[in-house]
Amino acid sequence: MAKVAVIVGSIRKDSLNKKLAGALEKLAAGRLQFERVRIDDLPLFNQDDESNPTPEVGRLKKQIRDADAILFVTPEHNRSIPAAMKNAIDWATRPSAQSAFKGKWAAAIIGTSRGRISTAVAQQHLRTILSGHFTALLGSPEAYVQFQDGLIDDQGNVSDEKTQKFLQGFIDSFAALVGAAKPKNNT
Amino acid sequence: MYNVAVIVGSLRKDSINREFARALAKLAGPGLKLDLVNIDALPIYNQDFDADMPAEARRLKAEIEAADAVLLITPEHNRSFSTALKNAIDWASRPYGKSSWAGKPVAIAGASGGNVGTAVAQQHLRTVLGHLDAAILGQPEVFFTFKPGLVDKDSNITDESTREFLRGFLNRLSGWIDLISRDRQPQAAAA
Repeated sequence: MAKVAVIVGSIRKDSLNKKLAGALEKLAAGRLQFERVRIDDLPLFNQDDESNPTPEVGRLKKQIRDADAILFVTPEHNRSIPAAMKNAIDWATRPSAQSAFKGKWAAAIIGTSRGRISTAVAQQHLRTILSGHFTALLGSPEAYVQFQDGLIDDQGNVSDEKTQKFLQGFIDSFAALVGAAKPKNNT
Repeated sequence: MYNVAVIVGSLRKDSINREFARALAKLAGPGLKLDLVNIDALPIYNQDFDADMPAEARRLKAEIEAADAVLLITPEHNRSFSTALKNAIDWASRPYGKSSWAGKPVAIAGASGGNVGTAVAQQHLRTVLGHLDAAILGQPEVFFTFKPGLVDKDSNITDESTREFLRGFLNRLSGWIDLISRDRQPQAAAA
């Protein structure tokens, strides 16, 4: 089963995006194995330390390297991605010869917020940032999930059937991409 | 004289953007005082601490609020602006209703070794600052390709045409602060 490293851009305790990641994990069960990547204990990115990073950065890069694909689950902070998300990406990609994204093909982006924009603008920034790193960045469906109270519980259950179907479709497309994009000789 | 808080987005010791910032500070005439703001001790932004912000974040907000304008000088990391800069901007924008950015005159510049000269990073930055209702200086765009020797060890810019261009940038910033502060604070401008 393909392994997916999941990076949630919010580090607050009651993050809506953590709930969304939980729902996706449940919907992907049996097809994609989700591994949450911890990012809340990383230092702020400093290029001076990229060749000799902290153990937390090493752990981040290893988790990413061990995965077949990456799923980015992002909130929108001030019409862009959170500092925590950018921080994880910057550490993961440096130094460039040792980028943890090297050899990865597939990635997908999703995000949720309470507003109608539902992270649409942040996701465009994230696409720009990731486009230099992934050959296969899931283009469709775009997933701008508007969160409402009770939409997803802490066990990853989705209360609204329409949303559940949409998220299932997102996972179907992502799983197909992960399968298709993985080179046959890459075990 | 206007006080400009300068936030350099790179944390590394030999940052070319910090070198660039120091050169700008030196180039600025008597009407503009540029002071670097420290952002390297901020924790990573976490909304859970909005109600009880870390001292470093409160200090950052106070420095931005005390300044007449903010100059953001960003590297380009992965085709966007740096984590350190996003982190500083997010802290200063919170808690909700108490953003330090609303109405603040802001100028953007950035340097890199490549031809893109941070042009893509700066577009992301404009999106964020527009949302935060900062008064963003539009022109000139400063996409600075940093070549060895362009700034000497005493922070002098060695090339005359570059010096002229950057002097023009600082003059525009000064005029922009005039305009915005006249618009927003009529009494202060008349005094």
